[in-house]
Amino acid sequence: MGIKIDALKCTNCMACEMACGYHRDDGFAFLSACIVPYRAREKKDYFGVLLKEEDSLVVARPEGTEINRIGEEADPDKEADASAKPMLLREACDLCEDMKYGPMCVKICPVDAISVEE
Amino acid sequence: MEYLSNDKILVVDLAKGDVEEEELSEELVAERIGGAGVNAHLYGKYADDDPIVLGVGLLTGSMYPASAASVLTAKSPVTGKLCHCPVTLKVGIEIKYAGFDYIVIKGRSDKPVYLWIHDGVADIADAADVWGKDVWETTDAWRKGVGDDLLQTMVIGPAGEKGLDCAQVCCNYWTGPDRFGIGKLFGQRNLKGMAFRGMGLLEAAEPEDFVDEAFELLEAVKDNDFMSKKGLGPICAALGETDAEEWLSPVVHRHSADYFTPYATNTFAFIDEDPATVTETAKPEPGVLISDIPALLAFKKLGLSALDAAKAMQACARQGVDPLAAATASGKAGKTAIDEILAQVAATTEPAAMEGNGVFSPWCPRKPIFGDFGASDTDAWWERRQAVAAIFGIQPVFAVMCPQLTEESMISLSNIGGELELDPETLDAVIGDIAG
Ligand code: SF4
Ligand code: SF4
Repeated sequence: MGIKIDALKCTNCMACEMACGYHRDDGFAFLSACIVPYRAREKKDYFGVLLKEEDSLVVARPEGTEINRIGEEADPDKEADASAKPMLLREACDLCEDMKYGPMCVKICPVDAISVEE
Repeated sequence: MEYLSNDKILVVDLAKGDVEEEELSEELVAERIGGAGVNAHLYGKYADDDPIVLGVGLLTGSMYPASAASVLTAKSPVTGKLCHCPVTLKVGIEIKYAGFDYIVIKGRSDKPVYLWIHDGVADIADAADVWGKDVWETTDAWRKGVGDDLLQTMVIGPAGEKGLDCAQVCCNYWTGPDRFGIGKLFGQRNLKGMAFRGMGLLEAAEPEDFVDEAFELLEAVKDNDFMSKKGLGPICAALGETDAEEWLSPVVHRHSADYFTPYATNTFAFIDEDPATVTETAKPEPGVLISDIPALLAFKKLGLSALDAAKAMQACARQGVDPLAAATASGKAGKTAIDEILAQVAATTEPAAMEGNGVFSPWCPRKPIFGDFGASDTDAWWERRQAVAAIFGIQPVFAVMCPQLTEESMISLSNIGGELELDPETLDAVIGDIAG
């Protein structure tokens, strides 16, 4: 099972990042989220979603999803957020196993860009 | 105020070059709720200094749908009234996560400065190097300076520095809701802008109950037919501009949303790049993000193609000029060719005509979009809806789209999250006070 992201559907709203941060920190925060819409290429209107899994960093780009084995990728953090905890130091997705709603990012995404893949 | 808040008010004295912090008392929140409600109170408290006040909504940056907005409150040089201007995109929430709920700015600096707010620390920083630069160059310089492309900014361009009534405070690179000439106020005080970044944590008093109710609300929101649509085209169509979607389509790249706003109210137009490009373009500055519906339609009315309208919007964004003011000035001067209009952008001085009471920004269309709110008096309904959005921190365009975001739900979630006992009478009193 894993999280699947349709980056072309995504509207870059950050709700998934909030929901995942809530799952980690029991408050409203983005600090520890393992799903992060990347939005640093603002003037180019180029955005998608990053997901940290146990062994890989998933980069859901508009043109297709790229899965980078952790350790092999040179610089995945340039996608993310320089002042936050680097993506690779965050806890990996646990599919929100302790949450009554299940995967919080799936539940919150307003445009259904995220789903669970069996 | 322990919950949904940083418990911090910042008072900046540009003349003295110092900053002070105050607590945000729970009594003040119980009486004035948040956003424009508290801003207006703080304006009154420091009225002798005619301050500019920036505040977050009580629900801003929470799991309440569309809780994206903050609000700038100041005496508008255009309307002469205390006005409340939304701060949108992802700038509105960054203010809260950077560690402050309210920022009162008084005085005039004797040299160009900007406010740099990061993780609960506030600095008045030198802006001599960016004075004279446009909005894009300034945001780029500040982002580069701290090495963080997610820095969120509120910036004036040359129009604000010159102290023109048509000057906007822009968000990051883009024009926004400022029809009030707040950009002029920044310029007059030698304030080039503000930059925000932070990784805060906001606690809710009853987080699980908050999330239960917010998710229930979200499900109801997602049932709306408009959720199958995206961007400005369908909004224009819903406002009766039925050919606008087709007109706009040749330049549309992608649509994006303000923080947790279920409908994407921003459309990115590509100018120097094929809009069908899916991979990352090699062009550094291919186009412009458009959120200003009346301005876009005003350029359309001048007979421009969507491509030329996008060029005009991009020029306004760089210069920090209200695009509706530029479109109005172009119309008055009989300019219809794009080169003339681009020259007109830099030469615009007058603000656009103000619709409504001059307290809330008519950047947000002044009637229901998609949704049926059952309002008999549309003008009064719109003013109230904008007031509510400005108090709780709701994205203003989505607020006139989505009837499920009721005042009751905002009060209820505020009470659950903030351990408060707000009631409709409190809200009525605050609206009565700020709505003018
Ligand atoms: S399933 Fe849970 S842990 Fe995994 S990315 Fe989504 S919110 Fe985060
Ligand atoms: S919640 Fe959905 S639309 Fe919003 S950023 Fe995440 S994937 Fe994109």
